[in-house]
Amino acid sequence: MPQFDLANVFVPQLFWLAVLFVILYFGVVRLTLPKLGAVMEERENKVTGDIAAAEKSKLDSDKMNEDYQAGLTSARNDARVILADAKSKATASIEKKSAAAQKKADDAIAAAQAEIEKAKASAMSEIESVAAEGASAIVERLTGKTPSAAAANKAVKSAFN
Amino acid sequence: MANPMEQFEIKNIIPIQYGEYDLSFTNSSLWMTLALLSVSIFLFIGTAKPQLVPGRWQASVEYLYDFVRKMLDDNVGLEGRKFAPLIFSLFIFVLACNMLGMIPWVGSFTSTSHISVTLGLAMLVFIIVCVVGFWKHGFHFFSLFWPKDTFFPLAVFVACIEFLSFLSRPFTLAIRLFANMTAGHVLLKVFGTFVVSLGLFSDLPFVLGLLPLSVTIALTGLEVLIAVVQAYVFALLASIYLNDAINLH
Repeated sequence: MPQFDLANVFVPQLFWLAVLFVILYFGVVRLTLPKLGAVMEERENKVTGDIAAAEKSKLDSDKMNEDYQAGLTSARNDARVILADAKSKATASIEKKSAAAQKKADDAIAAAQAEIEKAKASAMSEIESVAAEGASAIVERLTGKTPSAAAANKAVKSAFN
Repeated sequence: MANPMEQFEIKNIIPIQYGEYDLSFTNSSLWMTLALLSVSIFLFIGTAKPQLVPGRWQASVEYLYDFVRKMLDDNVGLEGRKFAPLIFSLFIFVLACNMLGMIPWVGSFTSTSHISVTLGLAMLVFIIVCVVGFWKHGFHFFSLFWPKDTFFPLAVFVACIEFLSFLSRPFTLAIRLFANMTAGHVLLKVFGTFVVSLGLFSDLPFVLGLLPLSVTIALTGLEVLIAVVQAYVFALLASIYLNDAINLH
């Protein structure tokens, strides 16, 4: 194998390998790759930055949405409060009005009742006096004596009660 | 039948003699130079105008660079990033030499099929590992060989084995690459000569040559794969050895 003819092939190959590899490392790779590394880093930073910005915008929009929802809820609550208020006010006024009407009706009923009572009393006293007169007339016819008005009245009253 | 070893013959192109040393520019040097040239073209075009949104050339260079960086991140950690240019150089140089050796018809020469070249690269890795290890840890670097919490005589024994295996690393690294490339090219050459010798069978011309031809085609695909895999393995092992030097265990 020519590869193992080291006495003849080793030194020239090693020499040129060394020369060429040094050129490759210092003259090519060292000159080119760092440029690329910088760009790759920049890209990575940009990508992470963009992702962070997107995340921030998402957070912002989430917060806005939350605010909107909160506003909506509070508006709904306000509306509910106003509605309940109006309802209770209306109920109160209805109650007040109906109470007034009730009172009016009660008054009218009481007045009517009083009048009835009065009429009843006057009618009663009229009946009593008529009965007393009748009774005294009967007694006069039967006995020929006219009983005193007071006695007749008393008798009638006791008979009625 | 042509000698399958003939393809590994070193031929002087420009004889150079420096004192008692023979520093001739040979066919091996020529193909290493071509590897350097193709890598340079690839890298210089790819990084000519680095842009945030890469073009095709930049994307391919970036892909390879990212691949090496990720390999170092996985095997060494963040401290390994410093060595990305070195591992990248090793990887792309071995890859270029392997792949250029696969070009048919132009009389290509696979420099990495020579142990002189692979041993040179492996020694470079070994020396860098030693320098980094002693630089970072001083004599504490020797604790790399010492197994923790082990019965003392056994630990001594294991340490000896570990030390020997550490010393043999450059050779295994060199021989793995050299043997893979050599064996592949020998195989290709052998099946290639079969194509000719069987195809020349005069009662049934050409037909019998088809079988070794198809094998040669399949082997070529395999060899391309091996060319890439061996470059990867070389770079991977270099980064694993670097990890030993940087992180001990």
